[in-house]
Amino acid sequence: MIMVDGVSAFCDDLQVDPGDVVMLVISWHMKAATMSEFSKQEFSNGLQSIGVDSLDKLKSLLPYLRAELKDEHKFREIYNFAFSWAKEKGQKSLALDTALGMWQLLFAERVWPLVDPWCQFLQAKHNKAISKDTWVQLLDFSRTIVPSLSNYDAEGAWPYLIDEFVEYLRDIGVVHPC
Amino acid sequence: MNPAKKKNFKIEPFKHKVEMDPKYAEKTWKILEDAIHEIYNHNASGLSFEELYRNAYNMVLHKYGEKLYSGVVQTMTQHLREIAKIIEGAQGGLFLEELDVKWREHNKSLQMIRDILMYMDRTFVNNFNKTPVHELGLNLWRDHIVRSPQIRDRLLNTLLDLVRRERTGEVINRGLMRNITKMLVELGTNVYQEDFERPFLDAASDFYRLESQQLIETSDCPDYLRKAEKRLNEEIERVAHYLDSKSEPKITQVVEREVIGNRMRLLVEMENSGLISMLIDDKYDDLGRMYNLFRRISTGLQTMRELMTAHLRETGRQLVMDPERLKDPVEFVQRLLDEKDKYDRIIQQSFHNDKMFQNALNSSFEYFINLNIRSPEFISLFVDDKLRKGLKGASEEDVELVLDKVMMLFRYLQEKDVFEKYYKQHLAKRLLSGRTVSDDAERSLIVKLKTECGYQFTSKLEGMFTDMKTSRDTMQGFNATGAGAEGNEGPTLTVQVLTTGSWPTQSGARCNMPTEILAMCDKFKMYYLSTHTGRRLTWQTNMGTADLKATFGDGNKHELNVSTYQMCILCLFNQADRLSYREIEQATDIPAPDLKRSLQSLACVKGKNVLRKEPMSKDISEDDTFVFNDKFSSKFYKVKISTVVAQKESEPEKQETRQKVEEDRKPQIEAAIVRIMKSRRLLDHNNIISEVTKQLQARFMPNPAVIKKRIESLIEREFLERDRMDRKLYRYLA
Repeated sequence: MIMVDGVSAFCDDLQVDPGDVVMLVISWHMKAATMSEFSKQEFSNGLQSIGVDSLDKLKSLLPYLRAELKDEHKFREIYNFAFSWAKEKGQKSLALDTALGMWQLLFAERVWPLVDPWCQFLQAKHNKAISKDTWVQLLDFSRTIVPSLSNYDAEGAWPYLIDEFVEYLRDIGVVHPC
Repeated sequence: MNPAKKKNFKIEPFKHKVEMDPKYAEKTWKILEDAIHEIYNHNASGLSFEELYRNAYNMVLHKYGEKLYSGVVQTMTQHLREIAKIIEGAQGGLFLEELDVKWREHNKSLQMIRDILMYMDRTFVNNFNKTPVHELGLNLWRDHIVRSPQIRDRLLNTLLDLVRRERTGEVINRGLMRNITKMLVELGTNVYQEDFERPFLDAASDFYRLESQQLIETSDCPDYLRKAEKRLNEEIERVAHYLDSKSEPKITQVVEREVIGNRMRLLVEMENSGLISMLIDDKYDDLGRMYNLFRRISTGLQTMRELMTAHLRETGRQLVMDPERLKDPVEFVQRLLDEKDKYDRIIQQSFHNDKMFQNALNSSFEYFINLNIRSPEFISLFVDDKLRKGLKGASEEDVELVLDKVMMLFRYLQEKDVFEKYYKQHLAKRLLSGRTVSDDAERSLIVKLKTECGYQFTSKLEGMFTDMKTSRDTMQGFNATGAGAEGNEGPTLTVQVLTTGSWPTQSGARCNMPTEILAMCDKFKMYYLSTHTGRRLTWQTNMGTADLKATFGDGNKHELNVSTYQMCILCLFNQADRLSYREIEQATDIPAPDLKRSLQSLACVKGKNVLRKEPMSKDISEDDTFVFNDKFSSKFYKVKISTVVAQKESEPEKQETRQKVEEDRKPQIEAAIVRIMKSRRLLDHNNIISEVTKQLQARFMPNPAVIKKRIESLIEREFLERDRMDRKLYRYLA
């Protein structure tokens, strides 16, 4: 098992910050179970799957890996993967702070204009862990609903938290009420 | 003839034709023509029917039918022209009379002529498709008299004028009118309709439009309705007397339209006399009249219903939201019942128990009763009041009546589970304080609730009754062991053992009881647990009562009925005459809000102040001191101080109850969702919401947002999942 220190060293070798989003992409390829941990199998299988057998090859592949985030499908898979990867072992939900961090990271790659109000809202009004359903549905929300919320459908079976977010946005005047 | 064969005789007709001499035809016709003249001149008596018939017969037989027929036409026409002149010349009122007379004479003449020409009618007329004589006579009358330019308009105007005058109160010759209209009908339905009926209806329309316009500006609603009814009946009577019966529905429709239909809004909405004031003042007759009249218009009853509903909803809304009314829950509910009674009576007496009005009443009540979220609590308090004292001494019938009325209100509630919670609380207090007027009445209401809501609703309530009975048996057993009786020295203990699930949950109550009491309690506990192993008993000190014998100054003895808390407090004064609040608090360990309430009842209520408070203020403060009131006096030997009766909840208590209700609803909603998804397997969001609502609405109206939260909770616990393609679809995970 490669634990936190090992991961740190690995990042140094790659000359990549541990918080760099490309680490997430690599972890995804490795199908890593948890953040900051790689089993031997995950590590070797993962590198094999991207056709890499040396550190240099991996270094040169980094731009490609980063670019994978631009692909709609891959981004979705990586995003969904991020939930189970980032949460504590044995927990069902993702701790709020971690979730906020992940969102900031991910939405830096594919911009969502409402990411900041969303994070503010969660800190002000929710203050609890994020469920998987909410995590997954949020991506849909960010992709399909325009920032002015004009195509938001109250009957759209969005998770309750997202309904509250919409109300929050209307209350603080960011968007006009329907 | 051949003798060998028998033959039938045959008579051969003449083989030569017998021709009629044309001069003979002319002569024959002349005879007939003269006869017609005589008939019209009322000289028929000298004529021979047989001869004339034969003459006509001969003419037709000898193929002179055409000459005969056209001759008849010409002769009759000539006569009718003369008759027309006579009628035209009639002055004033004699016009109609002359017409009537001449018509009757014409009919007589026509009959005679027809009889004479009967052979022609049967043969020539048929063969050559000519109009039969009788009909011919009518047509000629129609064309040359009734529709003659000089007569036609005059006739119509005369008739219409007479009708108009009769409408304004004059007496007219109805018999004459009847004869004339009958004449028109006989001349043909289209004659009656075109020459009379249609203009008659138009004139009526104008007349009533004008009259109703004037009336509506000068009369109030009941007055107007009375006049409308009168006019309607008048027209019906008019038709019966001198018009064709087919005109009845047409004229009534005109009156209905002009007098009622076009004025409906104005009438019902009339200030101070319209529908609303009639409802307020219980004007049964006027309301009944309005109903009967408006019923004739297609949207009439609907108009009434809509206004009644709006009014009911508004008064109901004011009733339930009025802060003054909310101070007394029993009064509040009584007002609701009174309002329902009032409208029930109106619908019964004035609206013929019309079902649609009943429905409007029910939907209005359902609407405004649920506007006030305290309605369930108040209805329970009303029931509590009745079962504690209101129905004391009442007959079984009266009890049933009141309980049925309560059930009726209960049915309107959307939050029946809230009612259940309060009802349970209040029932518990009634049972434990022994203050129920009649066990039968209690049981009767539970049966009604069970019938309405099912076994589930009442199973716990019945559990409470069972506990009471079981406790009585337990007490018997306990006392029989001799452990209960400590002679006259010690306290006598009566225990009710409550099964935790059935009774309303109480927050843990604690207090330090006096030693003598504790001893008795422990004795009971030992007895009970010896026969019921594996159970746990917890004393509910906030629900008990005690009777204390107290001696005051001058040997004044009184028996005080107090709560358990108050007993603990008072027993402290057996050891001390004055105690501070904090000392009492420490010694009894009673929670502060309950302690303050108990002390308030003991020290601040006139006539019940067995303790004196220093300083003498109304509220309890933690710096107060309490002194045994040596000078306490009361008219009664037994003094009731405890406050364990059901009351309207304070704001924080209300919040707490509501929270409990909301918590209770969550598992019910989840159970419903799981039930539905288990059978449907795959279902979309909106359908789940409506199915869940349908399943639960007998108890309460679930909030769609709450349902959504429960769905998400079930998703997280992996009972359900969203469909990968469609966010709105949910799948049941086995």
